[in-house]
Amino acid sequence: MSTTPTADPVQPQRSADPQASSREQAPARGSRAGALFGSALSPRRIGAVYVWAVIVLFFAIYTPDTFLTGTTVTQILNNSAITGLAALALLIPLATRTFDLSIGFVMSLSGVTAANFVANGMPLVPAVLLGLGAALVVGVINATVVVVMRVDSFIGTLATGSIIASFITMVTNEQDITDVRLTGAFSDLGQTDIGGVTLPVLYALAVVIVLWVLLEHTTTGRRLYSTGFNPDAAKLASVRVDRLRFLSLLASAFIAGVAGIALAATLGAGSPSAGQSYLLPAFAAAFLGATQIRPGRFNAIGTVIAVLVLTTGTTGLALALAPAWAADLFTGVVLIAALTLTGAERRRLRSRGSAFLRLRKRGGSTPDTPEVAS
Amino acid sequence: MATAIRRPVRTPALRIERLSKTFGATKALDDVTIAFDRGQTHALVGSNGSGKSTLIKTLAGYHRPDPGAHAYFAGEEFDLEAPGDERPAGLRFIHQDLGLVLELSAVDNFGLKCGFSTSRGFVSWREQARRTREAIARFDLGLDVHAPLSQATPVERTIVAIAAAIQDWDEDGGLLVLDEPTAALPPVEVTELFAILDEVKAAGATIVYVSHRLDEIFQICSDVSVLRAGRLVASRAVEGLEPQDIAALMVGTDVDTEIRPTRPAAQRTDLALEARGLRGEFLRGVDLQVGHGEIVGVAGLLGSGREELPYVVAGARADIASGRLRVGDGEWSRVESGGFRHPIVPADRLREGIVGEMTIEENLALPVLSELGRGGLLRRGAERDVARESIRRVDLVPPEPDRVISTLSGGNQQKVVVARWLTEQRPLLILAEPTAGVDIAARMALFRLLIAEADRGLGVLVSSSDVDDLLHLCTRVLVLRDGVVARELAYDEITETNLLHAMEGIDS
Repeated sequence: MSTTPTADPVQPQRSADPQASSREQAPARGSRAGALFGSALSPRRIGAVYVWAVIVLFFAIYTPDTFLTGTTVTQILNNSAITGLAALALLIPLATRTFDLSIGFVMSLSGVTAANFVANGMPLVPAVLLGLGAALVVGVINATVVVVMRVDSFIGTLATGSIIASFITMVTNEQDITDVRLTGAFSDLGQTDIGGVTLPVLYALAVVIVLWVLLEHTTTGRRLYSTGFNPDAAKLASVRVDRLRFLSLLASAFIAGVAGIALAATLGAGSPSAGQSYLLPAFAAAFLGATQIRPGRFNAIGTVIAVLVLTTGTTGLALALAPAWAADLFTGVVLIAALTLTGAERRRLRSRGSAFLRLRKRGGSTPDTPEVAS
Repeated sequence: MATAIRRPVRTPALRIERLSKTFGATKALDDVTIAFDRGQTHALVGSNGSGKSTLIKTLAGYHRPDPGAHAYFAGEEFDLEAPGDERPAGLRFIHQDLGLVLELSAVDNFGLKCGFSTSRGFVSWREQARRTREAIARFDLGLDVHAPLSQATPVERTIVAIAAAIQDWDEDGGLLVLDEPTAALPPVEVTELFAILDEVKAAGATIVYVSHRLDEIFQICSDVSVLRAGRLVASRAVEGLEPQDIAALMVGTDVDTEIRPTRPAAQRTDLALEARGLRGEFLRGVDLQVGHGEIVGVAGLLGSGREELPYVVAGARADIASGRLRVGDGEWSRVESGGFRHPIVPADRLREGIVGEMTIEENLALPVLSELGRGGLLRRGAERDVARESIRRVDLVPPEPDRVISTLSGGNQQKVVVARWLTEQRPLLILAEPTAGVDIAARMALFRLLIAEADRGLGVLVSSSDVDDLLHLCTRVLVLRDGVVARELAYDEITETNLLHAMEGIDS
């Protein structure tokens, strides 16, 4: 978006230097294509929007009576909110190439904690804060395990997730926390609607804006991406890699905590297992989102598009009275298709890079480079 | 010294005729005809870029030679253009990285190299272990064959690689090629390795020994061949040669005087960098000073501390290094405190230098992000200014800040990495292997750039395994050997011969 406008003024300068353009021909061709397709409407940047249009069109034709209604729009938005929050929780750690597989359990934990205190008569605000606090405690544990104790994040956060699950079971005995007190102000947090749109949609919107600004328009965001792309180079460029990874796991836990409370409020109950089912769709949306808007980078708006695509599909299937298994099938297929396309795109870019390496090697003056110590 | 060698009728175990190998415009090997006599230990030497690695890799089938080459093993011709697995069975290689999986045990590595012994589809581990023990038994190695090789010493690993390479060969006619086997070995272990090589040779095998270390050649080799710029310049018996003779053959005529920089001596009272007592994994107490406007080189063989020094100075080895240093007229700081960091142009550009997925502009801005922020928000205009200024300063063509950096040539990537540190007003620039993987035109541009910056007062410390870098850039070179400054060369003294002599420890 911000990168395209300047590409054009530079173009004439390059063609003015014939030697340079021949030397850098391969990438130059790429960037010319980039200038052509780099516009905001390029399928390479918002391919999922086109997929979305196809899905909408499909259901509009297949089930026009149920799908083409105003309520479908609000329904899709409302259905997207919790998944969206869960997916957004993943973004910051993923930007640093850190996995947080505990977010589903954190969602359950924060929801159960807040619901438990409300059910026991605690006022709303401190109960919610305690729910968020519980999530943050998990964030600190995750960060300690992954960054300080150097456990691989994939398995480390899976392990902490298991510990959270056992803790939840210990407290709830696998029973939903239900109480008449939960139907008051607490459930209003999730169920109040403004023109059909419920509050969690607004929470998600707020998080989207914060994350977009953070990742795209702050120095911290740039450092987070550099940590994910090449931690060694980032370190030598004085980026404090470990600190960023530590904080990223706190951020994911906090956002997952928000998602968990929104979920519990929507359900009007503290469910010990409701959060877990959001893990997979959240990862699906985050990865699909990384192919959109800013290809190759986990970003907030791309994630929003991805969530809307996935939810539109599943909502459409539900409205079309498709069997229960169809939604998961749809999510899986869309995810594989999207990642395959991105993988192909990345390989295309990389092979261009390596073709260039080969060129350089052939023309290079150091055929014996392996002798160079590194 | 050269041991007394029985000289029966000299029949070549391996003979290569008219071997050339071209990479693009560069002739890495130019019409090389060479014979390795049976039962001899034959040294293959040459400086960086002389073509010896290319020769070994072509022989191993990793590179395809230019048409017209012939090769004979034990008198029988084989096809050099065929892939590596179609080489004669008696021809075995130990490459520099040994090709071992360090997480696995000796038994596993043997299985991977020589095949697993199976019965009914299952690996018979007992039999496999027995075979492994048998293969290394002759080398008298007290090695736990079931422990991961990462726990073994470097020489033990080398021996495991040798044992696996020569397993089940007909020693009497075999030929073993070792590519710089001692590069990563401490001196004590080198002796151990030589004993093993004697053992292998005693059984009648031929050894081709690639090395940078001339002293080793006099210890174990009977013949020596010297490559220079892709050509074979000598192939003869070691007997009667002095180290200086081999060095002279490697260097050729001194043409370096023409390219030596003619810049005035720097003011040594006005220092950009001062360091005392630097120690690390390889360094054993190095003092150094870099004046403003001075380009100081660091030379040395692999393992001399040459690779380590720039990183220690940059504060990137705080966990193992120690010493004191200060930049400009700043405070002294201790390396081991970990608090000192200075930018470095690292040796491995792809791994440590650039963030390949990001654009030129983003790469340039990375180290100065804190200055580009206002209340945490990134000032895009300021970032663009930094990028434009840097691109202009290093004359990057094409000047496109939005291009993803991994699509640039190596030379241009290196320019970006250098430019990144020039954006800051620092008195010192540290570079490691500044021209690795950089084409000749970009290399010259880089030299001009560094010299221009030095003329403006920048102090430059450059560590390089490429003598060319030092000849072109430096007015002073510190030659490291075994972790200490063995010699300091200045101006006219900086010649390829002197550098080589100092690195090898030859008195001149």
